[in-house]
Amino acid sequence: MKKTKLGRNRERIETIVYPVMFGILIMVLWQTGLLHKLLHTDDYILPYPDKIINIITDNSDKIMVNVWASVEVALCGLLLGSVIGYLIAIIASAFPTYGAGGLTIVSAFNAIPIVALAPVIINWTKDVSTVAEERSMVAKILVVTVTSMAAMSVNAYRGLTELPQFSDDLMKTYAAGRLTEFVKLRLPNSLPYIFTALRVSVPGSVIGALVSEYFAEYIIGVGRQIRENILIAQYATAWAYIIVACLIGILMYVLLMIVEAIFLRKRR
Amino acid sequence: MPDINRNDVEIMLDDVGMVYTASDGRDVQALTSVSMNIQKGEFISLLGPSGCGKTTLLRIIADLIKPTSGKVLIGGETPQQARLKRRYGMVFQSAVLYDWRTVIKNIELPLEIIGIPKEERHERAAKMLDLVGLSEFERHYPRQLSGGMQQRVGIARALALQPEILLMDEPFSALDEFTREKLHVDLLKIWRKTNKTIIFVTHNISESVFLSDRVCVLSPHPGRLSAVIDIDLPRPRTMDLKDTAEFTALVSKVRNSFEGV
Repeated sequence: MKKTKLGRNRERIETIVYPVMFGILIMVLWQTGLLHKLLHTDDYILPYPDKIINIITDNSDKIMVNVWASVEVALCGLLLGSVIGYLIAIIASAFPTYGAGGLTIVSAFNAIPIVALAPVIINWTKDVSTVAEERSMVAKILVVTVTSMAAMSVNAYRGLTELPQFSDDLMKTYAAGRLTEFVKLRLPNSLPYIFTALRVSVPGSVIGALVSEYFAEYIIGVGRQIRENILIAQYATAWAYIIVACLIGILMYVLLMIVEAIFLRKRR
Repeated sequence: MPDINRNDVEIMLDDVGMVYTASDGRDVQALTSVSMNIQKGEFISLLGPSGCGKTTLLRIIADLIKPTSGKVLIGGETPQQARLKRRYGMVFQSAVLYDWRTVIKNIELPLEIIGIPKEERHERAAKMLDLVGLSEFERHYPRQLSGGMQQRVGIARALALQPEILLMDEPFSALDEFTREKLHVDLLKIWRKTNKTIIFVTHNISESVFLSDRVCVLSPHPGRLSAVIDIDLPRPRTMDLKDTAEFTALVSKVRNSFEGV
């Protein structure tokens, strides 16, 4: 069923306008102190929005250093994990007898909580470099890699094997080899599935980066700054980093949506 | 068909049988002892209800599955040799267009695979698109076309490699009656222009009579060839033919030839 223009507009209102209105409502309650009364807290634990924004603008240089550190971890891990995950999916689809079973093991990594995974990987990687900054970076990227890998391998495997009916028969009638079939059919067929995986792993990579910073040896990153500032009871600064962390996640997701719209525009 | 040399056998089926092993371990006889010859340039229908093995037989000829007994020769070659030489084009129950390719790029797909240079590829694909009357939709995506138009693109793609044989597996079964009747006439025109041998699988009696030189009636349990009926109606055939007494008589004759349905 094709959507009418009216229907599309209504959908846009429901998905954009309503959440924004809810956000504005919360901000108003927060700034006026009503939120503090509702939550039975004070403006020391939960500072007013204008104070948090002031902290962000006053410390923008220091914050950006930490933002780039977190983004670097998230993006490197995401890229590495997605590439490895896709390669695993290719291998699994080339050997269908063992492939599906092998993938179940890989996807089991998805069930390991990051808070459990991060300390283990940090311990494993403590000898990769004599520089604390480098070995912490490797550890954090590996945490994100593992978590991104599972989502990609499972979804990409579906994209490589769940083909439209008869489309593989069609390739057979052209006497196409396995490589041709892969390039002309399986690879393009898997493209929407890659984006399904990224919709899970892009937010996941930000969370993975922030959480692994908590456990890392070298102190840097938005996640770590949240922890450090809470430890010294600088709640306003901690809140500033929490807001920044949210913005990183939202921006990366918006970027993904834009890239997806470009790549899949022909199919919708 | 006066212009067909009756001794020019294109496809030979000799005692072809197919046994599947079902999930409970029992053997199921999908097809038993089918023997027949199909002439070059002939339009043959494989007609029967579900479970009669008509699609199985077509897939055996196409080398998509191997028969468990008997022999198939296509111009003196095994089906596998014929497939590897790309001697037939296939049209499926659905159009099977790749939705990330435009209409013209879908038709170019087989030409790409055999390594035809870009310009010649486009030229040949455009010619095929013209043959099915969809030239103006070159740059459209499949989802922008109706079901009937999609299936015509499927036919154009099957013809792109200029195969000698066209294998069609219930190609119009998902279309509405009006579109189907139009495509019948179009298909006969294309057939006359291109002189292909066509094997057309269907469960629609009137469709098979209207299109074919011969209707091969298959009956189920076990799947077998129960009758071959010559359709000696004059060509070129038009829609009016369906109102004639001769047509109706042949439809009844075909219907009465089924066994055990």
